[in-house]
Amino acid sequence: MVFFLLLGIPIFAQTDSQWVLEQSTLTYHVTHPLHQVDGVSHAARGKGVCHAGQCDFLIAVPVKTFDSGDSNRDLHMLQVTRGGQFPMVTVRTRLPESASASATIHADLEIQFAGQTAKYDQVLFQQKSQGNEIRITGTIPAILTDFKIDPPSLLTVAVKNEMPVRVEMTWQRQK
Amino acid sequence: MNPKPSKFILGAWIIALLSLLSFPLRAQVADATLAGTVTDPASKVVPNAKIFIKNVVTRQSVETQTDSAGLYKLSNLVPGDYEVSVSAEGFSTNTTKVMIAAGTKQTLNLTLAGVLSLGDLGFSPAQTQGSAQDQARLNKRSHMLKIHQRIGLIDTVPLVATVILGAGAGGKSTSSTDRFAHLALGSVTGDLYFLSAYYAIRAPKIQGTETRGSIRLHKALAWIHGPGMILTPILGIMAFDQKSNGEKVHGIASAHGAVAIVTAAAYGASILSVSIKF
Repeated sequence: MVFFLLLGIPIFAQTDSQWVLEQSTLTYHVTHPLHQVDGVSHAARGKGVCHAGQCDFLIAVPVKTFDSGDSNRDLHMLQVTRGGQFPMVTVRTRLPESASASATIHADLEIQFAGQTAKYDQVLFQQKSQGNEIRITGTIPAILTDFKIDPPSLLTVAVKNEMPVRVEMTWQRQK
Repeated sequence: MNPKPSKFILGAWIIALLSLLSFPLRAQVADATLAGTVTDPASKVVPNAKIFIKNVVTRQSVETQTDSAGLYKLSNLVPGDYEVSVSAEGFSTNTTKVMIAAGTKQTLNLTLAGVLSLGDLGFSPAQTQGSAQDQARLNKRSHMLKIHQRIGLIDTVPLVATVILGAGAGGKSTSSTDRFAHLALGSVTGDLYFLSAYYAIRAPKIQGTETRGSIRLHKALAWIHGPGMILTPILGIMAFDQKSNGEKVHGIASAHGAVAIVTAAAYGASILSVSIKF
């Protein structure tokens, strides 16, 4: 019996593992000299597939699920971000499987948004591990013009080009 | 005639002629074509994938999209080394290099990278695939609401002037000039108001959108200033006729001023409710 268990260890070690996004809060922040706006979405879905020590992650969220507390503004944001034609924001990253053991992650992100793809290298995330779950927090320093989005205006003054996106995610490992 | 200068001129002509003749030989003719199919990792064709091709030397770039069959074609390319990127919703970008020879029709089939797809996350195609029509609807909505906003803001000028002149037009010692000025400004206010309202009412509605936030107050106030903008001129005409006949304003017409004030206040509040936002 012990022999079979010992035999089983390397087999389990080679088995691909998966990560599934359990909960998430994504918050974009827009700054205008007269106004600050936060839009929140809890509708992101994500998965990570690990193989040979590398994990490929895909996180996606519908643009229209971001709620800034005002439906008119949200529809305007949907329009300026070309959400009718490109309804999803997707984030891809590849991380070593060992990254789950450290307190911080530096991830190279490939973000598709508004029909454009932008890369953000070495984005810092904090993580806390609890059993099979990992909680990840960080901020993606998104720039509107990276996605060819014209910053919307209020009283002819455009919002800031920077639109940081705060990320709070809980991932669960599944064998 | 000195033979030396004439030889020199002849030589210069020959060099110039040869230089002109050599241009077509040296110029790079943009006559190459690159075409192919874009597929996903499961070998399914990918429509609307974006192909971005950049000449490594000149840094000039061209962009196109695949059709519904996943086919793309880039014509009139200058021969040279190119970097080709393919991207599409739900896939990561794949970049490859290709050398394009002059006058050739080359085929380059591209496969989108991506271990995971949006389908793996449980999103349906209806959720992940947008359309130009949906975007056009959003664009039209924003465009019409901007016009609504601008006309609405402009309308505050004759509205305020009408209210101010109303005091002189309806008082005890009024002149017909004041009344006519009040009438004219009131007419301009009403016309602009209904023009602005037209753009708000006719702006395309986006299905599945619940009204939230200050826009709810903005819409609710329209139920006050909308009927008010109809009632105010009706009462105003009655009051105008009574005044013009030398009568004291009486009956329902005497409510003209109060209705106008409530209407103007609701209109002002309606503007303020959506002003501090974008």
